[in-house]
Amino acid sequence: MDMIEMPKVSRRSFVIGSAAAGTGLAIGLKLPPFGPDVVRAQDGSPEVTHWVVIRPDDTVVIRIARSEMGQGTLTGLAQMVTEELECDWSKVTTEYPTPGESVKRKRAWGSYSTGGSRGIRESHEYVRKGGATARMMLVQAAADAWKVPAAECSAANSVITHTPSGRKVNYGKVAEAAARVTPPKDVPLKDPKDWKIIGKPVKRLDTLDKVTGKQVYGFDLKLPGMLNAAIMECPVFGGKVKSFDAAKVSGRKGVKKVLQVGDSAVAVVADTWWQAKTALDALPIVWDEGPNAKVSSASIAEINKAALDADQAFVGNDAGDAKGALAGAAKKIEAVYAYPFQNHAPMEPMNATAKYTADKCEVWVPTQDGEASFAATLAASGLPADKCEVYKIHLGGGFGRRGAFQDYVRQAVLIAKEMPGVPVKLLWSREEDMRQGRFHPVTQCKLVGGFDANNNLTGLHMRISGQSILAAVRPEAMIKGMDPATFQGLARSGEFEFGYQAIPNYLIDHAMRNPHVPPGFWRGVNINQNAIYIECFVDELAAAAGQDPLEFRRKLMAKNPKHLAVLNAVAERAGWGKPAPKGVFRGLAQMKAFNSFVAACAEVSVAGGNKVKVHRIVCATDPGYAVNPAQIERQIAGSFVYGLSALFDQECTVKNGRIVEENFNTYPSMKLAQMPKVESIVMPSGGFWGGVGEPTICVAAPAVLNAMAAAMGGKRFRSFPLKNHGITLV
Amino acid sequence: MRLLKGKARRRFLAAAGGWAAAALASSARAQMTRTPLNNMPDVIRKLVGSKTINKGKVKLDLPPLVENGHLVPLAVRVDHPMTETDHVKAIHIFTERNPLPEMITFRLGPRAGRASVATRVRLADTQNVTAIAELSDGSFWSDSAFLIVTLAACLEELPA
Repeated sequence: MDMIEMPKVSRRSFVIGSAAAGTGLAIGLKLPPFGPDVVRAQDGSPEVTHWVVIRPDDTVVIRIARSEMGQGTLTGLAQMVTEELECDWSKVTTEYPTPGESVKRKRAWGSYSTGGSRGIRESHEYVRKGGATARMMLVQAAADAWKVPAAECSAANSVITHTPSGRKVNYGKVAEAAARVTPPKDVPLKDPKDWKIIGKPVKRLDTLDKVTGKQVYGFDLKLPGMLNAAIMECPVFGGKVKSFDAAKVSGRKGVKKVLQVGDSAVAVVADTWWQAKTALDALPIVWDEGPNAKVSSASIAEINKAALDADQAFVGNDAGDAKGALAGAAKKIEAVYAYPFQNHAPMEPMNATAKYTADKCEVWVPTQDGEASFAATLAASGLPADKCEVYKIHLGGGFGRRGAFQDYVRQAVLIAKEMPGVPVKLLWSREEDMRQGRFHPVTQCKLVGGFDANNNLTGLHMRISGQSILAAVRPEAMIKGMDPATFQGLARSGEFEFGYQAIPNYLIDHAMRNPHVPPGFWRGVNINQNAIYIECFVDELAAAAGQDPLEFRRKLMAKNPKHLAVLNAVAERAGWGKPAPKGVFRGLAQMKAFNSFVAACAEVSVAGGNKVKVHRIVCATDPGYAVNPAQIERQIAGSFVYGLSALFDQECTVKNGRIVEENFNTYPSMKLAQMPKVESIVMPSGGFWGGVGEPTICVAAPAVLNAMAAAMGGKRFRSFPLKNHGITLV
Repeated sequence: MRLLKGKARRRFLAAAGGWAAAALASSARAQMTRTPLNNMPDVIRKLVGSKTINKGKVKLDLPPLVENGHLVPLAVRVDHPMTETDHVKAIHIFTERNPLPEMITFRLGPRAGRASVATRVRLADTQNVTAIAELSDGSFWSDSAFLIVTLAACLEELPA
């Protein structure tokens, strides 16, 4: 191997801010001893583009802006950079660049938002370009040292080879010089057919730390001198603190401070969290519950039911003349469905740790959007961006609760402001986490289908009534008052395209009725209920027409071949049309969501009229490209845990304006023994990028419901969860 | 502060005795999160005509990023005397991705004492915001700021 003369790398460590245990934060610095243009990580190793740090021992540190919450994006995104960087996968590690650093560097790492199944599909191009740019700089540096044209050199497995002479050099040896190379402007990417690591089921990079306990989660975090806070917000949404008697608890052991946080919450800060929590429990608080203290699930349901027949509704998708077709139908079928509020209920309750001084505010937080946490830190601290920093921590579950809503960050900063110089960890109790969710929206749906005399479906009206997420969360994204997200899976086109566009006349509309309970983006968002509504009703229509559910769907899906392809795949794998084991019945569902096509076939048996066993679910997904097929399979299975738990057991009921269910005893997740066997067909067809984390969640429930109807002689359940009908999952 | 109607509703008269702190609420809702760029350059050109827009004097203060765009604090200060013969006549705010590029015009006179305004605005998306000060001598001065609106999880592109 040729020696390339390298400047000596100082081992001096550049620590800026404070890195939390377990989060190896490297922060770029421009320092004179290393030349004006080299940006260095904490350990002095050079950045070769802002995406990659290469250490002398060939270790490659890849920067990941999106958050890891179990979904595997850390590994998938690292695969994408590695593919183009041509580095040795066994030497890849990752780190989160801080949001503050990103702001300083003009958003070098792009969006931090980790939701909408967008981590990979939104950033695949620029992260691959980052890897390719770094590779070209490394090759150029080696070529310059050898005084040969870069075109004569190639790179593979962290080794650069000068092909004519056979000379070789490792990345770690040329990184210093590469860091000084001007990044190329034209950065071609590989043809997907040449991918070597994208598409491979490589092992996750974060597993070892998690199984050994090295991974520190936000609610495990301990900082020197740290105090702990517990908080309670008015349980009636929109209510405020009227008064509280701090003297009653301020003398308790360990209690340091009792304080109001914003208009609506009270917190106790103590040496330990338990001291804080028990003091808060004992603290007399008088709430001004506001105008919503009488609202109940029943009163909300009444409003939504009335809206099913309201004259005015936002039209999300239509074709032909649905109302005319239904008026002239030879036969009409009608059904009303209802879907409840649900909570994200991640295993790790909301938490954030903050330290505030007049010169600096730092926050350690498990977050789905580091930038949003940073923005909340700026707003709550009142300090400028260069005096704030956020350190991201892997999440113990997110599911949409930790992205668009940064209430816990604001609270933590407001509390820390009252205790300057002392780090304070705010941890919500499970009860607080259950009461203060941003809930899956509550809706109902009335579906009417009309047939001609020959049992052809001629018209469909799908009326959704109830809550809009965007009206509460992002009114600026609404279109003339309409919430387009309500129509996920039912849209005219795009990543949520309706799969039954061969129906000659259809109308899908939404009569918006917004209760006071705050809605949020719950894994899959509106596809969860929309898939149940449409997929169960299509089965009802097939039954009314006396047709096989698969054959019936095929006719309606004539204009949507990619939707149909995944449906056909599950039908074939499951053996649709062939006899199932005795007592076992099958059900189908399909949808397009987050730009992926998904379908499922469930196999179910029902004992004693109410004990449901889900034996197997065959699922297919076409996400365009599959970056890590093993990870996709696990995501599918994981999404079924979430989706089936919701179907059978999970409901947040509202009484006296507040949420009733406060813990897992009344809001259970399914158990291991209840889990069906999941067979996944990952069938990427190329040419587009679809999401993985969310889409498949929505097909589990309707496939199971359709199989249950088949097993129970056509008996249908149209409101959820199924526990309300005495159904248990066994 | 008084609320006006129509076009004037977007214009606030910062009259005698200090600076206007006025909420702005007129602009319509964003069409989509990925709103195409509006015609901000044309609208600015219409305001300034053939004159040069100078850099300097104006300081536009926006947070570098916000959780959402509902209520974004915005402040503009113009470092210029406020005398009868030489003062800041108006401060115009333009946005690149809101449905309407012309967001606010603050009219000022010498009795305002100083050319400094603050308000809260709705910003539909991550975008550039430009403040242009119009001086009594007919010259224009400007400052721009880039603001990130962090986007809600699960929904960055919405179904059409």
